[in-house]
Amino acid sequence: MDRFQYLWLLAACLVVTAPLELVFGARVWRRPRHLARALLVPFVAFAAWDALAVARSHWTWNPRYVTGARVGRLPVEELAFFLVIPVCALLTYDAFSRHFRGERAPVWERLARARATRRR
Amino acid sequence: MREYTLLSAGSVVAVVVLERLWRTGLFRRPAYWVTLAISGFFMVLVNGWLTKLSAPIVLYSAEEVSGVRFPFDIPVEDYGFGFALVTLALLRWERVASKAPERRYPRP
Repeated sequence: MDRFQYLWLLAACLVVTAPLELVFGARVWRRPRHLARALLVPFVAFAAWDALAVARSHWTWNPRYVTGARVGRLPVEELAFFLVIPVCALLTYDAFSRHFRGERAPVWERLARARATRRR
Repeated sequence: MREYTLLSAGSVVAVVVLERLWRTGLFRRPAYWVTLAISGFFMVLVNGWLTKLSAPIVLYSAEEVSGVRFPFDIPVEDYGFGFALVTLALLRWERVASKAPERRYPRP
C-alpha cells in the first residue's frame, strides 16, 4: 500500500475535482482533444526539467512510496503528476471562467428552485 | 549550486514572457487568479504531504535548494515550479481555445 501512496494522492486529486465537471459546469474532460493539445507542451517541458533535475541530482524519490515503475529516469508517478495537476487547475479555471462569463451551471438553477419550493 | 532555486525563478520569468509573447490576456482574468489561489491552497496540502521530512516521498539535495521550507517542509522552489506548471497549462488551454473556439451552444 505504501508503494502506491504517490499514486493514491494523485487519484485523490482527480476525485476531489470531479464535481467541477460533473456539477459545476467545467467542460474539460468533455473536450478531450482540446485538453490533450493543452497538456502536451507543459507535459514535455516539465518531463524534460524533471529528467534534468534527476541527472543533476536536484531531487530523488523515496523508494518506499513509489511503485518503482519508471519511464527512462522518471517514475510513472511523476509523469502522472504532470498530467493530473494541470487537469485539476484547468477544471478550476474553466468552471470559474464560465461562471464569471455568466454561464450558470444547472446546479445553481436547481438549488434556487429547491430553495423556492421548500416547505416552511 | 542552488540549481533548482535558479531554475525555479527562471521558470517563473519564462512563463510570464510566454504570456506576453502569446498575448492570451490570462493575467487579466479574475478566473486565473482564483485558480492560482485555489491551486496554491491544495498545493500546500498535496506538496506538503509529498515533501514532509518525517516520511518524504520526494527528497531534495541540500546543495541545490535554498533550504527555505515553508509552510511545513515545502521547499520554496516548489512554488515557482508549481506556478510555472499551472500557468503554462492555462496559457496553452487559452491558446488552443483562441485557435478553435467552442461552439456557442455546446452539446451537453
